[in-house]
Amino acid sequence: MLARGSPRLEEAIRYLGSRLVTTVLIVIGAMLLLFTLTSVVPGDPATTLFGPQATPELSRRFITEMGLDQPLPTRLWRFFANVARGNLGVDVISGRPVAKLIGEVLPYTLILTFSALGLAALIGVPLGIYAATHRGSVLDNILAFTSVAFIAVPSFVIAIFLLLIFATWLDWLPVLGASRTGALGDEFKRMILPTLALALGWIGFIGRLIRTSMLEVMGEPYIRTSRAYGLSQRIVTYKYALKNACIPTITLLGLGIGRLLGNAVLVEIVFARPGLGRLIYNAISERNYPIVQGASLVVVVLFVAVNLIVDLSYSAIDPRIRHDTAKPGAE
Amino acid sequence: MTHSVNRRDFLTGVAGTALAYAIDAPAQTASGPRTNITVRIDRDLAVLDPAARTGPWDGNVIRCIQQRLMKQKPNSSELELDAAADVKQVSPTVIEFRLKPGQMFTDGFGEMTADDVKFSFERIGLPAKDAVATYKNDWLYLTGVEVKSKYEGRIVLSQPRANLFDVVIGDVSGCIVSKKAVEQRGADIATKPVGSGPYQLVSLERQKGATLRRNPAYTGRKPYYEEIAIRFISDARTTDLALRSGELDFAVLSPSTADPLRSVPGLTVNEQPSIAYVWLGMNVEKAPFTDVRVRQAVRLALDVDQMLTAGYNGKAPRLNTLLPPQILGHWREAPVYKRNVAEAKSLLAAAGVSNLKVKLLILNQAAYQNMALVARALLADVGITVEVDSQEGGTYWNSGKGDVGKNIDMFIVRFNGKHDPNFIMQWFVSKQIGEWNWQRWNSPEFDALFAQSAGELDAAKRRQEVVDAQRLMDKSAAFVWLTNEANTLVYRNWMKPAGVPGWIDWQYDDFGATS
Repeated sequence: MLARGSPRLEEAIRYLGSRLVTTVLIVIGAMLLLFTLTSVVPGDPATTLFGPQATPELSRRFITEMGLDQPLPTRLWRFFANVARGNLGVDVISGRPVAKLIGEVLPYTLILTFSALGLAALIGVPLGIYAATHRGSVLDNILAFTSVAFIAVPSFVIAIFLLLIFATWLDWLPVLGASRTGALGDEFKRMILPTLALALGWIGFIGRLIRTSMLEVMGEPYIRTSRAYGLSQRIVTYKYALKNACIPTITLLGLGIGRLLGNAVLVEIVFARPGLGRLIYNAISERNYPIVQGASLVVVVLFVAVNLIVDLSYSAIDPRIRHDTAKPGAE
Repeated sequence: MTHSVNRRDFLTGVAGTALAYAIDAPAQTASGPRTNITVRIDRDLAVLDPAARTGPWDGNVIRCIQQRLMKQKPNSSELELDAAADVKQVSPTVIEFRLKPGQMFTDGFGEMTADDVKFSFERIGLPAKDAVATYKNDWLYLTGVEVKSKYEGRIVLSQPRANLFDVVIGDVSGCIVSKKAVEQRGADIATKPVGSGPYQLVSLERQKGATLRRNPAYTGRKPYYEEIAIRFISDARTTDLALRSGELDFAVLSPSTADPLRSVPGLTVNEQPSIAYVWLGMNVEKAPFTDVRVRQAVRLALDVDQMLTAGYNGKAPRLNTLLPPQILGHWREAPVYKRNVAEAKSLLAAAGVSNLKVKLLILNQAAYQNMALVARALLADVGITVEVDSQEGGTYWNSGKGDVGKNIDMFIVRFNGKHDPNFIMQWFVSKQIGEWNWQRWNSPEFDALFAQSAGELDAAKRRQEVVDAQRLMDKSAAFVWLTNEANTLVYRNWMKPAGVPGWIDWQYDDFGATS
């Protein structure tokens, strides 16, 4: 345990502090970019939504209620001031709080994204280890081929093929990705295909990465030394080699959250499944800016929070990373 | 023979059993007549309040939950009494009504009274300063609703309205809400509606859809299905698969998307003419389209049938005038223009136009893109070079607004219609220049005919006025009418869907089964 005032504790706090400041700056930067984009995108919300039914007074009203008639700094200031009070704004179309709308769909996105990531890690890591420990075998070559194939094919294409095979031809699984009744068993069944569609590419990614890292680590002197000490192959592989080989994979998983959230939009559309990505996509199409802003903030926070956790976790695995940040120029 | 079970066999067995349970076949086998159905909508439900609804997808659900004084008969645009025991037009500007007693609102909000009717109509037509009424124009000329007794009242207008019954009283803006419920629930009424109609809302979830259950207190015609699940599925391919797998019982698709489903056993594919209208318009304020000869040349250079083959696989009927055949005042003798390259060239030469380069604005959807490509090829034959400007919805729908609209050359556009000529004609009056009259066509004669027909209660006179208005549009050559589209209904063989002809307004409450 670290004693109060000890240099290691101070170093840990300083590291955490610097990461948190970076996180806040990223969130502000992302929202500034988003607000700038929304101010240059053409199209007034009422016209986009109501078409010929949009009267000039309705257009003006929507613009005023969304604050689009205000200068960019004012809009940004108001937005963050409201966020600080826990208010993400109001959907001017339905009159419902944006936070409530996000709250309804966020669980779908979180479950889908983390299930896909979990499944990818669960299958990808053992495959990568197997490929590294059986380098050049038939299975290694098959895995290399299929991994690249799954990485190259976009997840929405995989989704359509999965639907054709498992929902239409075999009739094993449902087409629609969300239960009407909300029953747990039904929800689980409806999650299988969307999760698979999102995870397949990542299984290949993780498998290839683990394989490469493992092969690199297996050639390190400390592995040779471990073997010379007479440690079993199993202990050398899983206890020493895998731990170090995991560091780039953990980084990839952190960054992967962003990509998964992006891919999730298409998977949500194909499976007609509610989700944050689909909420943002529809809101952009309708120029429903309060939803775009609120939901984007949640995505950005989610992304940077996961990456913060990843950063902290691998600085725990490899303490050199923390030292390097605390003392610039240190080796 | 003996067989020992090792650890690997055991684990395989357990995993296999779990998988078999998890992937249990989803389709339910129907034993006996179905009491529930699942239908698809392609836009998410947003607001289930008549005053703030966002479009027909909301309206179709609202009409099931709320009653109107009168409603359309199944598969018809003809009206019959619903909440009212009697409705009488006592003068061109006064309509008297008497409600049936004992019509109860759900959730304990009591009996429907004339006060609720007054509240419902006036909150749309005469909204308070801070209230939203997206369809305020539906109740144009309303001066108020006078309550005579608990069940009786009078709707008073400042001017006669020929389409008041078809477009307003019998439609979503004529839905009767509970005054008490709206006041009590505030903004929540948009997602927790209270009604007295054939169905009540059981659930409404963003991006999922809604579930409706039969309202036992409804005193009118009892709906056939106990429960209707309305699923929001934006993707046409997913809809196709859900229909094949049996998860979906009804959907309206484009003809090209529905075509492959014709061979699927158990499904019926039924094409219905739509009342949406699609045309190619030209901006008469922008040179060289200021010259009527250039517009005529474009009209003669195009081959509408070829464009429709490309855009709709040839499954959409050709439109030769603004109003489709189902609408009062359809101009049956409207000229059917045939492609004539020589005449088009001579018109351009007479107008002194050569090497013309123009932009054709379209929405980024397959049908319009295909039609635009054909138009580009056809116009190239007469020396007009077309650049196709394909835009996404938000940008596209704002292109004709204000001064920006002055820059448009040509465009292809689609508007939804209703069973009323004036509803369809309203976007072409001069007041709409800078709004929805993207042609920027200014015809005082058309404006006058529009105003006259809007208040004309004599159907024969009104028909003639509407035909005359279409003649003026034809003379202007600012419009190349393309199609009134077709909707393809795909549904289970045992099912009988219902909708107002044109299939923009569906009648879920009249969906039934084949006997």
